[in-house]
Amino acid sequence: MIRLLLSVLVFCFFATATSAQSKLPPVDKSPMDMSYYPNGYPVSKIQDKATEPLIARVIYSRPQKNSRVIFGDLLEYGKVWRLGANEATEVEFYQNIKINNTKVKKGRYTMYCIPYADKWTIIINKETDTWGSFKYDMKRDVVRMDVPVQKQTEITEAFVMAFEKTATGANLVMAWDDVKVSLPIVF
Amino acid sequence: MLKNKKLSPGIIFILAAGCFNACTPINNNNKEIRNPAIESANPYAAVDKSPMDISYYPVNYPMLKMNGGDSNSLTARLIYSRPQKNGRTVFGYEKCIQQYGTYWRLGANEASEIEFFKPAIIKGQKIAKGRYIIYCIPYETKWIITLNNNLFSWGLHPDTLKDIAKIEIPLLKTDKIIEVFTMVFQPSASGADLIMAWDNTKAVLPISFQ
Repeated sequence: MIRLLLSVLVFCFFATATSAQSKLPPVDKSPMDMSYYPNGYPVSKIQDKATEPLIARVIYSRPQKNSRVIFGDLLEYGKVWRLGANEATEVEFYQNIKINNTKVKKGRYTMYCIPYADKWTIIINKETDTWGSFKYDMKRDVVRMDVPVQKQTEITEAFVMAFEKTATGANLVMAWDDVKVSLPIVF
Repeated sequence: MLKNKKLSPGIIFILAAGCFNACTPINNNNKEIRNPAIESANPYAAVDKSPMDISYYPVNYPMLKMNGGDSNSLTARLIYSRPQKNGRTVFGYEKCIQQYGTYWRLGANEASEIEFFKPAIIKGQKIAKGRYIIYCIPYETKWIITLNNNLFSWGLHPDTLKDIAKIEIPLLKTDKIIEVFTMVFQPSASGADLIMAWDNTKAVLPISFQ
């Protein structure tokens, strides 16, 4: 049944995508973006100002709040979320790192999240180049880590993922609506 | 993309230079409906004016995979940013966004990135499987497409010492104006065509896979 529903969904997607314009894809409603650690690495690189090597890059899509309640409403608590929109979010590490005391080998991974009211479970998974979280397979997980939800007074309109330097590596900060979490990465 | 709190004047200059590229736009009217809240208020990174996008070959590969289709045939993917025409002349000799005969990053912001998951052949040149940046020198009747090894770089100027292949392809006219720069793969008899289209022009890079 789920498979049938998915087929219908995908069919609808292609049907609308192809009828709305002639062959070429329109601009995504939730545009894609990239974040690096070190921050802004490509600019530092061409200026010969990079003081640290490239450690990590995230590719994600940026849905917008658009006056909706996001957590617990648009995104159900306890359900796997693709941490963005469209294609599943991708993180690439250019050296071995550690998350939750587990070694993560350099390479490309998919990131998911299970949001709850007080914490997010962040998942690093081996199955890359996938759409959404529809085909999420727990058996392909590399590591999971629970991180606490921090409530923000200021609303973040567009979902954002960005790295911040820490004493032991970097935090991957994720913020949307009135919620923010930080995933510690050690390297 | 960049943490706007920590931009140094140098970076601001380089970013501004990137927006204007080779010559001054003739028309700065931004006709898009934009939400200023998503562009400036974000504490970590504003939403880009030229949003990033990703194209796969097979076309829509992640969707195929999700829908139980082929999961072993990922062949190529391209990550690029999509500037918009916004009433301006895109290619030309003057009063345009992109001057003929000058380097163009095939997009905006970061250099556009192409990855082949299988060895490829482009117009007789063998390209090893792997990741490259891809850029272009546009002329009135042709584009010269270059693959280069200087990964993870901002697309302002290439390190030509790291070029690995140069391919000349003819430029075609489109019937309709294409507002947003677009790069997509389309299946062809010998593999895939990488279609690159903006304003009233279109170029096709023929790729075959081993």
